[in-house]
Amino acid sequence: MFERLPRLDAAVDRAAGPVTRFLHRRLGITADQVTWASFGVTIVAAAVIARGHLYAGLALMAVGQALDHFDGAIARESGSASLAGARLDTAVDRLSEAAIFFGMVAAGLVSLKLALLAFTAILLLTSVSERSRLDPGCKRFVLYLGPWVAYPILFEVIFAVNLIAYVIGLLIVDIHFQRRMDALGGDLETVASRAAESEAEERQPLPAPRSA
Amino acid sequence: MTIVTHVLATTLGVKLFHLHGRSVVLAYLFGVAVDIDHFIKLPYFLRSVGLRNKRGYYWRSSLQEPVALLWIIPLSIFLGTVVPVAFFIVHLAMDYAVRYEKMPWYPYSAVVTRGWLTRIPDAVKEGVLLVVLICSNVFLVWTRR
Repeated sequence: MFERLPRLDAAVDRAAGPVTRFLHRRLGITADQVTWASFGVTIVAAAVIARGHLYAGLALMAVGQALDHFDGAIARESGSASLAGARLDTAVDRLSEAAIFFGMVAAGLVSLKLALLAFTAILLLTSVSERSRLDPGCKRFVLYLGPWVAYPILFEVIFAVNLIAYVIGLLIVDIHFQRRMDALGGDLETVASRAAESEAEERQPLPAPRSA
Repeated sequence: MTIVTHVLATTLGVKLFHLHGRSVVLAYLFGVAVDIDHFIKLPYFLRSVGLRNKRGYYWRSSLQEPVALLWIIPLSIFLGTVVPVAFFIVHLAMDYAVRYEKMPWYPYSAVVTRGWLTRIPDAVKEGVLLVVLICSNVFLVWTRR
Protein backbone atom coordinates (compact mmCIF):
# COMPACT_ATOMS: atom_id res chain seq x y z
CA MET A 1 0.00 0.00 0.00
CA PHE A 2 2.83 2.39 0.84
CA GLU A 3 5.43 1.11 -1.63
CA ARG A 4 6.81 4.63 -2.07
CA LEU A 5 7.14 5.15 1.68
CA PRO A 6 9.22 2.14 2.82
CA ARG A 7 9.45 3.22 6.49
CA LEU A 8 5.69 3.67 6.78
CA ASP A 9 5.19 0.38 4.96
CA ALA A 10 7.51 -1.38 7.44
CA ALA A 11 5.71 0.22 10.41
CA VAL A 12 2.30 -0.91 9.11
CA ASP A 13 3.79 -4.39 8.47
CA ARG A 14 4.98 -4.59 12.10
CA ALA A 15 1.60 -3.42 13.47
CA ALA A 16 -0.32 -5.85 11.28
CA GLY A 17 2.20 -8.65 11.84
CA PRO A 18 0.02 -10.87 14.09
CA VAL A 19 -2.93 -10.70 11.66
CA THR A 20 -0.63 -11.37 8.70
CA ARG A 21 0.92 -14.39 10.43
CA PHE A 22 -2.54 -15.67 11.42
CA LEU A 23 -3.86 -15.37 7.86
CA HIS A 24 -0.81 -16.97 6.30
CA ARG A 25 0.44 -19.55 8.83
CA ARG A 26 -2.79 -20.64 10.48
CA LEU A 27 -5.29 -20.28 7.63
CA GLY A 28 -2.84 -20.87 4.77
CA ILE A 29 -4.12 -17.88 2.81
CA THR A 30 -1.87 -16.71 -0.02
CA ALA A 31 -1.12 -13.16 -1.13
CA ASP A 32 -2.99 -13.61 -4.44
CA GLN A 33 -6.09 -14.86 -2.61
CA VAL A 34 -6.07 -11.73 -0.44
CA THR A 35 -5.63 -9.56 -3.57
CA TRP A 36 -8.75 -11.07 -5.14
CA ALA A 37 -10.68 -10.92 -1.85
CA SER A 38 -9.82 -7.22 -1.64
CA PHE A 39 -11.08 -6.77 -5.20
CA GLY A 40 -14.32 -8.63 -4.38
CA VAL A 41 -15.01 -6.38 -1.39
CA THR A 42 -14.28 -3.31 -3.53
CA ILE A 43 -16.75 -4.49 -6.20
CA VAL A 44 -19.41 -4.83 -3.49
CA ALA A 45 -18.45 -1.33 -2.25
CA ALA A 46 -18.89 0.04 -5.79
CA ALA A 47 -22.32 -1.60 -6.08
CA VAL A 48 -23.38 -0.20 -2.69
CA ILE A 49 -22.25 3.31 -3.71
CA ALA A 50 -24.08 2.95 -7.05
CA ARG A 51 -27.27 2.14 -5.11
CA GLY A 52 -26.92 5.46 -3.29
CA HIS A 53 -25.50 4.26 0.05
CA LEU A 54 -22.34 6.39 0.04
CA TYR A 55 -21.20 5.94 3.66
CA ALA A 56 -21.70 2.17 3.65
CA GLY A 57 -19.87 2.01 0.33
CA LEU A 58 -16.96 4.07 1.66
CA ALA A 59 -16.76 1.80 4.74
CA LEU A 60 -16.60 -1.28 2.49
CA MET A 61 -14.01 0.43 0.31
CA ALA A 62 -11.92 0.98 3.45
CA VAL A 63 -12.18 -2.76 4.23
CA GLY A 64 -11.06 -3.52 0.67
CA GLN A 65 -8.09 -1.18 1.00
CA ALA A 66 -7.15 -2.66 4.39
CA LEU A 67 -7.17 -6.12 2.79
CA ASP A 68 -5.11 -4.67 -0.05
CA HIS A 69 -2.35 -4.03 2.48
CA PHE A 70 -2.28 -7.62 3.66
CA ASP A 71 -1.50 -9.12 0.23
CA GLY A 72 1.86 -7.36 0.16
CA ALA A 73 2.48 -8.14 3.83
CA ILE A 74 1.70 -11.85 3.32
CA ALA A 75 3.94 -11.93 0.24
CA ARG A 76 6.80 -10.46 2.28
CA GLU A 77 6.05 -12.72 5.28
CA SER A 78 6.03 -15.85 3.11
CA GLY A 79 8.98 -14.76 1.00
CA SER A 80 6.84 -15.03 -2.15
CA ALA A 81 7.03 -11.33 -3.09
CA SER A 82 7.63 -11.08 -6.83
CA LEU A 83 7.38 -8.62 -9.71
CA ALA A 84 4.47 -10.64 -11.13
CA GLY A 85 2.65 -10.38 -7.78
CA ALA A 86 3.28 -6.66 -7.61
CA ARG A 87 1.94 -6.24 -11.15
CA LEU A 88 -1.17 -8.28 -10.33
CA ASP A 89 -1.68 -6.06 -7.28
CA THR A 90 -1.35 -2.93 -9.44
CA ALA A 91 -3.76 -4.30 -12.08
CA VAL A 92 -6.34 -5.18 -9.42
CA ASP A 93 -5.89 -1.73 -7.85
CA ARG A 94 -6.70 -0.10 -11.21
CA LEU A 95 -9.74 -2.38 -11.70
CA SER A 96 -10.88 -1.47 -8.18
CA GLU A 97 -10.59 2.24 -8.95
CA ALA A 98 -12.53 1.75 -12.20
CA ALA A 99 -15.29 -0.05 -10.26
CA ILE A 100 -15.51 2.62 -7.53
CA PHE A 101 -15.44 5.46 -10.09
CA PHE A 102 -18.20 3.77 -12.10
CA GLY A 103 -20.24 3.32 -8.91
CA MET A 104 -19.93 7.03 -8.21
CA VAL A 105 -20.98 7.87 -11.79
CA ALA A 106 -24.00 5.57 -11.44
CA ALA A 107 -24.92 7.27 -8.14
CA GLY A 108 -24.81 10.67 -9.88
CA LEU A 109 -21.99 11.92 -7.66
CA VAL A 110 -19.73 12.80 -10.60
CA SER A 111 -20.01 13.03 -14.39
CA LEU A 112 -18.82 10.15 -16.59
CA LYS A 113 -16.45 12.55 -18.39
CA LEU A 114 -14.70 13.59 -15.18
CA ALA A 115 -14.47 10.03 -13.88
CA LEU A 116 -12.98 8.85 -17.21
CA LEU A 117 -10.47 11.71 -17.21
CA ALA A 118 -9.40 10.95 -13.62
CA PHE A 119 -9.05 7.25 -14.44
CA THR A 120 -7.08 8.04 -17.61
CA ALA A 121 -4.65 10.16 -15.57
CA ILE A 122 -4.23 7.30 -13.07
CA LEU A 123 -3.56 4.81 -15.89
CA LEU A 124 -1.01 7.15 -17.48
CA LEU A 125 0.81 7.56 -14.18
CA THR A 126 0.78 3.80 -13.60
CA SER A 127 2.36 3.27 -17.03
CA VAL A 128 5.56 5.09 -15.98
CA SER A 129 5.58 4.90 -12.17
CA GLU A 130 7.59 1.65 -12.13
CA ARG A 131 10.42 3.40 -13.97
CA SER A 132 10.09 6.89 -12.51
CA ARG A 133 9.47 5.68 -8.91
CA LEU A 134 7.02 8.56 -8.58
CA ASP A 135 3.47 7.99 -7.42
CA PRO A 136 1.87 10.49 -5.04
CA GLY A 137 -0.83 7.92 -4.13
CA CYS A 138 -3.67 10.36 -4.84
CA LYS A 139 -6.32 7.87 -5.92
CA ARG A 140 -9.07 6.18 -3.87
CA PHE A 141 -7.90 7.76 -0.60
CA VAL A 142 -9.10 11.16 -1.80
CA LEU A 143 -12.65 9.81 -2.12
CA TYR A 144 -12.97 9.52 1.69
CA LEU A 145 -13.15 13.33 1.73
CA GLY A 146 -16.48 13.09 -0.11
CA PRO A 147 -18.64 13.92 2.93
CA TRP A 148 -16.85 17.28 3.21
CA VAL A 149 -15.81 18.16 -0.35
CA ALA A 150 -17.96 17.85 -3.48
CA TYR A 151 -17.05 14.80 -5.56
CA PRO A 152 -16.53 16.70 -8.85
CA ILE A 153 -13.81 18.73 -7.08
CA LEU A 154 -12.21 15.56 -5.68
CA PHE A 155 -12.17 13.98 -9.13
CA GLU A 156 -10.60 17.14 -10.55
CA VAL A 157 -7.92 16.86 -7.86
CA ILE A 158 -7.29 13.19 -8.73
CA PHE A 159 -7.06 14.12 -12.42
CA ALA A 160 -4.72 17.07 -11.86
CA VAL A 161 -2.38 15.39 -9.35
CA ASN A 162 -2.00 12.20 -11.40
CA LEU A 163 -1.57 14.04 -14.71
CA ILE A 164 1.09 16.36 -13.24
CA ALA A 165 2.83 13.36 -11.62
CA TYR A 166 2.74 11.61 -15.02
CA VAL A 167 4.42 14.56 -16.76
CA ILE A 168 7.07 14.76 -14.02
CA GLY A 169 7.49 10.97 -14.21
CA LEU A 170 8.11 11.18 -17.96
CA LEU A 171 10.76 13.83 -17.33
CA ILE A 172 12.42 11.66 -14.66
CA VAL A 173 12.61 8.74 -17.12
CA ASP A 174 13.98 11.15 -19.76
CA ILE A 175 16.70 12.30 -17.38
CA HIS A 176 17.70 8.67 -16.76
CA PHE A 177 17.95 8.27 -20.54
CA GLN A 178 19.94 11.50 -20.86
CA ARG A 179 22.45 10.16 -18.32
CA ARG A 180 22.74 7.01 -20.44
CA MET A 181 23.39 9.11 -23.57
CA ASP A 182 25.95 11.29 -21.78
CA ALA A 183 27.74 8.18 -20.49
CA LEU A 184 27.89 6.74 -24.02
CA GLY A 185 29.35 9.91 -25.51
CA GLY A 186 30.78 9.71 -29.04
CA ASP A 187 28.96 11.12 -32.06
CA LEU A 188 26.15 13.31 -30.75
CA GLU A 189 24.26 12.97 -34.05
CA THR A 190 23.63 9.27 -33.35
CA VAL A 191 23.76 9.12 -29.56
CA ALA A 192 19.98 8.69 -29.10
CA SER A 193 19.78 5.62 -31.36
CA ARG A 194 22.89 4.08 -29.75
CA ALA A 195 21.50 4.69 -26.25
CA ALA A 196 18.12 3.24 -27.30
CA GLU A 197 19.90 0.11 -28.57
CA SER A 198 21.88 -0.31 -25.37
CA GLU A 199 18.72 0.15 -23.27
CA ALA A 200 16.87 -2.44 -25.38
CA GLU A 201 19.76 -4.90 -24.93
CA GLU A 202 19.67 -4.41 -21.15
CA ARG A 203 15.94 -5.05 -21.05
CA GLN A 204 16.15 -8.28 -23.03
CA PRO A 205 15.85 -11.39 -20.83
CA LEU A 206 18.95 -13.54 -20.57
CA PRO A 207 18.86 -16.68 -22.79
CA ALA A 208 17.90 -19.85 -20.99
CA PRO A 209 20.85 -22.18 -20.27
CA ARG A 210 21.09 -25.03 -22.79
CA SER A 211 20.82 -28.55 -21.53
CA ALA A 212 23.59 -30.96 -22.44
CA MET B 1 13.39 24.85 -34.80
CA THR B 2 14.48 27.99 -33.05
CA ILE B 3 12.32 29.71 -30.45
CA VAL B 4 11.79 32.69 -32.82
CA THR B 5 10.14 30.44 -35.43
CA HIS B 6 7.89 28.89 -32.79
CA VAL B 7 6.90 32.33 -31.46
CA LEU B 8 6.09 33.54 -35.00
CA ALA B 9 4.00 30.43 -35.79
CA THR B 10 2.09 30.70 -32.51
CA THR B 11 1.51 34.43 -32.96
CA LEU B 12 0.16 33.76 -36.44
CA GLY B 13 -2.22 31.10 -35.09
CA VAL B 14 -3.40 33.38 -32.27
CA LYS B 15 -4.19 36.16 -34.74
CA LEU B 16 -5.67 33.89 -37.38
CA PHE B 17 -8.13 32.26 -34.99
CA HIS B 18 -8.89 35.47 -33.02
CA LEU B 19 -7.89 33.89 -29.71
CA HIS B 20 -8.37 35.83 -26.48
CA GLY B 21 -7.63 35.53 -22.75
CA ARG B 22 -6.96 32.01 -21.51
CA SER B 23 -6.72 30.65 -25.07
CA VAL B 24 -3.77 32.96 -25.83
CA VAL B 25 -1.95 31.74 -22.70
CA LEU B 26 -2.59 28.10 -23.67
CA ALA B 27 -1.46 28.76 -27.26
CA TYR B 28 1.90 30.15 -26.15
CA LEU B 29 2.23 27.50 -23.44
CA PHE B 30 1.84 24.61 -25.87
CA GLY B 31 3.20 26.35 -28.97
CA VAL B 32 6.35 27.82 -27.41
CA ALA B 33 6.82 27.11 -23.69
CA VAL B 34 7.05 23.33 -24.10
CA ASP B 35 10.64 24.15 -25.09
CA ILE B 36 11.23 24.62 -21.35
CA ASP B 37 12.67 21.12 -21.31
CA HIS B 38 15.83 22.58 -22.86
CA PHE B 39 16.43 24.29 -19.51
CA ILE B 40 15.95 20.96 -17.74
CA LYS B 41 18.63 19.47 -20.01
CA LEU B 42 21.00 22.44 -19.56
CA PRO B 43 22.82 21.07 -16.44
CA TYR B 44 23.45 17.78 -18.28
CA PHE B 45 24.74 19.65 -21.35
CA LEU B 46 27.09 21.71 -19.20
CA ARG B 47 28.31 18.61 -17.38
CA SER B 48 29.02 16.56 -20.51
CA VAL B 49 29.91 19.21 -23.11
CA GLY B 50 30.78 22.31 -21.07
CA LEU B 51 30.48 25.84 -22.36
CA ARG B 52 31.44 24.92 -25.94
CA ASN B 53 28.86 25.39 -28.70
CA LYS B 54 28.53 21.78 -29.79
CA ARG B 55 25.81 20.85 -32.29
CA GLY B 56 23.73 17.69 -32.06
CA TYR B 57 23.29 17.48 -28.28
CA TYR B 58 20.01 15.72 -27.41
CA TRP B 59 18.05 18.64 -26.01
CA ARG B 60 14.64 17.07 -26.42
CA SER B 61 12.45 15.34 -23.87
CA SER B 62 9.04 13.68 -23.96
CA LEU B 63 7.57 17.10 -23.12
CA GLN B 64 7.78 17.96 -26.83
CA GLU B 65 7.37 14.60 -28.48
CA PRO B 66 4.16 13.00 -29.84
CA VAL B 67 4.01 10.91 -26.64
CA ALA B 68 3.04 14.12 -24.81
CA LEU B 69 -0.31 13.98 -26.63
CA LEU B 70 -1.19 11.22 -24.16
CA TRP B 71 -1.55 13.88 -21.47
CA ILE B 72 -2.26 16.94 -23.63
CA ILE B 73 -5.41 15.39 -25.17
CA PRO B 74 -7.00 14.59 -21.75
CA LEU B 75 -6.00 18.07 -20.58
CA SER B 76 -7.67 19.62 -23.63
CA ILE B 77 -10.84 17.61 -22.97
CA PHE B 78 -10.76 18.71 -19.33
CA LEU B 79 -10.33 22.36 -20.30
CA GLY B 80 -12.91 22.07 -23.09
CA THR B 81 -10.66 23.57 -25.78
CA VAL B 82 -8.61 22.23 -28.71
CA VAL B 83 -6.03 25.02 -28.38
CA PRO B 84 -3.38 22.96 -26.45
CA VAL B 85 -3.56 20.04 -28.91
CA ALA B 86 -3.63 22.24 -32.02
CA PHE B 87 -0.68 24.45 -31.06
CA PHE B 88 1.32 21.52 -29.75
CA ILE B 89 0.88 19.66 -33.07
CA VAL B 90 2.11 22.76 -34.93
CA HIS B 91 5.15 22.85 -32.60
CA LEU B 92 5.78 19.15 -33.27
CA ALA B 93 5.40 19.50 -37.03
CA MET B 94 8.02 22.25 -37.07
CA ASP B 95 10.47 20.35 -34.86
CA TYR B 96 10.13 17.19 -36.94
CA ALA B 97 11.27 19.13 -40.00
CA VAL B 98 14.75 19.44 -38.42
CA ARG B 99 17.04 16.48 -39.01
CA TYR B 100 18.31 15.65 -35.51
CA GLU B 101 17.36 12.39 -33.79
CA LYS B 102 14.02 12.22 -32.04
CA MET B 103 12.29 9.56 -29.97
CA PRO B 104 8.57 10.11 -30.61
CA TRP B 105 7.16 7.49 -28.24
CA TYR B 106 9.83 7.18 -25.53
CA PRO B 107 9.57 5.66 -22.87
CA TYR B 108 6.97 3.34 -24.45
CA SER B 109 9.02 2.69 -27.57
CA ALA B 110 12.71 3.09 -28.37
CA VAL B 111 11.99 4.04 -31.99
CA VAL B 112 14.33 6.79 -33.23
CA THR B 113 13.46 8.97 -36.21
CA ARG B 114 14.91 12.01 -37.92
CA GLY B 115 11.52 13.41 -38.96
CA TRP B 116 10.45 14.46 -42.44
CA LEU B 117 11.93 16.37 -45.38
CA THR B 118 15.31 15.02 -44.30
CA ARG B 119 16.90 15.56 -47.73
CA ILE B 120 16.46 19.32 -47.57
CA PRO B 121 19.11 21.08 -45.45
CA ASP B 122 17.80 22.28 -42.06
CA ALA B 123 18.97 25.86 -42.67
CA VAL B 124 16.93 26.04 -45.90
CA LYS B 125 13.78 24.71 -44.21
CA GLU B 126 14.13 27.02 -41.24
CA GLY B 127 14.94 30.02 -43.46
CA VAL B 128 11.97 29.48 -45.78
CA LEU B 129 9.61 28.93 -42.86
CA LEU B 130 10.90 32.01 -41.09
CA VAL B 131 10.30 34.20 -44.16
CA VAL B 132 6.82 32.72 -44.72
CA LEU B 133 5.86 33.26 -41.08
CA ILE B 134 7.17 36.84 -40.96
CA CYS B 135 5.35 37.71 -44.20
CA SER B 136 2.11 36.05 -42.99
CA ASN B 137 2.22 37.88 -39.66
CA VAL B 138 2.89 41.22 -41.37
CA PHE B 139 0.13 40.53 -43.90
CA LEU B 140 -2.38 39.73 -41.13
CA VAL B 141 -1.50 42.84 -39.14
CA TRP B 142 -1.68 44.94 -42.35
CA THR B 143 -5.08 43.63 -43.49
CA ARG B 144 -6.64 43.96 -40.02
CA ARG B 145 -5.56 47.55 -39.38
